[in-house]
Amino acid sequence: MARALTSRLLFGSLIVLLYLFLLLPVLGITYVSFFNSQFLSFPPPGYTLRWFANVFEQEALISGFITSAEVAVLASLIGVVSGVLASLALVHFEFPGREAIKSFLLAPLLVPGIVIGTALYVFYIQIAQSTGWNPTRSLVGLVIAHVMLTIPWSVRLIAASMGMLDRSVEEAARNLGAGALKAFLLVTLPRMRAGIVAAALFSFVISFENLEVSVLLVQPGATTLPIAMLQYIEWNMDPTLAAASTVQILVIGALLLISDRFVKLSQVV
Amino acid sequence: MALSATDLKRGGAASALLLPATLLVVVALVAPMLTLLRYSFNAYDPIMLMRETFTLENYARFFAEPYYHEVILTTLAVAFGASFGALLLGFPLAYFLARTKSRYKSLLVVLVVFPLLVGNVVRAAGWIALFGSQGILNVTLIKLGLIESPLEIMYTDWAVIIGTLSVVMPFMVLSLQSVIENVDFSVVDAALNLGASRFQAFRLVFLPLVMPGVTAGFALIFILCMNAYATPYLLGGPGYKMMAPALYEQISVISNWPFGSALAFILMATTVLATLVVTRVVRGKTV
Repeated sequence: MARALTSRLLFGSLIVLLYLFLLLPVLGITYVSFFNSQFLSFPPPGYTLRWFANVFEQEALISGFITSAEVAVLASLIGVVSGVLASLALVHFEFPGREAIKSFLLAPLLVPGIVIGTALYVFYIQIAQSTGWNPTRSLVGLVIAHVMLTIPWSVRLIAASMGMLDRSVEEAARNLGAGALKAFLLVTLPRMRAGIVAAALFSFVISFENLEVSVLLVQPGATTLPIAMLQYIEWNMDPTLAAASTVQILVIGALLLISDRFVKLSQVV
Repeated sequence: MALSATDLKRGGAASALLLPATLLVVVALVAPMLTLLRYSFNAYDPIMLMRETFTLENYARFFAEPYYHEVILTTLAVAFGASFGALLLGFPLAYFLARTKSRYKSLLVVLVVFPLLVGNVVRAAGWIALFGSQGILNVTLIKLGLIESPLEIMYTDWAVIIGTLSVVMPFMVLSLQSVIENVDFSVVDAALNLGASRFQAFRLVFLPLVMPGVTAGFALIFILCMNAYATPYLLGGPGYKMMAPALYEQISVISNWPFGSALAFILMATTVLATLVVTRVVRGKTV
């Protein structure tokens, strides 16, 4: 008995320590954002909220936030819609080469992001040289690049959640007289909701925080938030960046809480 | 076997559904990668930047220069260290999450996912605040009398490995959790009832059941580690020798596209090869 209790206690403290390790950087940066000093030295002479005011004066960070949000919304939308369509074909139909196509759609996950970014960088410049249209001058180039992040995650999450669905329900609807489209819209689509929400959430976040794919594709003055943060931290080590991070942490936290109301995250990821 | 009319119709529907995603991957991944592959055989020219030719010079240069040996070896060491660390630390956490009957399970899962969502740069900045010589960790340890002078953590391999590990650990926990949840624990109980020791039951029954998840999770995070840019740059310092920063430098700063393209392919080939070797070795050991 005593031995079982000790091992339970040990396991429990290990779990607490592991959580602490995962959350330490997030807690650390949040704490630092209240420091009333120019540097990140501990202990601080006092606490202040002024860095939060300063965040909103950093145009690079603000415009980075807007760019990242726009790119993430568009890339997730394209990724999830094409991912839903592809998953329908992959799960509902038997055809030769099905596994090969699934692997092909998941392939962007296997290519290091910095390699995807490099390849698109030279490809875009080649397009610009031969057609005069440069995809990196607008958000199009960045959105297409981020679609390479959102498609594999969408296919992976949606196909996995659909694989668990019972097809007989849709067949029952068809037998009872519903047309293919009606059966899909009224029966199958609502039951794919968990997978779609998970895919949308994951795609948005993966795109929003991506740095490796974007780093070569951004233009001066039109960068994404992670790159704007990286550039800021190179020159200034004051708590402004910590305050910006804290704002981002709060936004993501709120987003998680809201989506958790619609779909239990623990069941979908 | 002849195809019936319905087969053809269904085939047409499947192709139509697959078209958008497949087309996007062809345009945004396959075509650019082929361009990059072609560039890697071109030659660098100081004036024109790139001269079209067919040479293996760029690949030869990588294998000839000791600097790049160091870069690829550091990259592999960090990636292996961080991936194995994440596996070791992630396993107990995943096991706990898979088996817990707590009503706060949803919250506990969200807490694991959360650091993933705030991004690499934010977390690297968090580690800087902790690891710096005036950072929270060092000052606390000195105050407690455990150390006399600050530990040099920033700009070392350790900082990069710990930072990378924390970046990829949530992915590992999630992939492991989902396989452990699908394990039928009555099989493990049966082994215990039949006289297996706890270790034997773990090693011979439980481990083979979760191995597919372990290898899949490992492959995913290993690729992310090989690709790391922000973490080594911020925690290892601007001169830290890893592939992603070296690749960025060649393309963007030095504008040597042919050599940069070769670096990109070497990085990809090394990643794929190392992933295959590791998953083979791990599988062979346990089955």
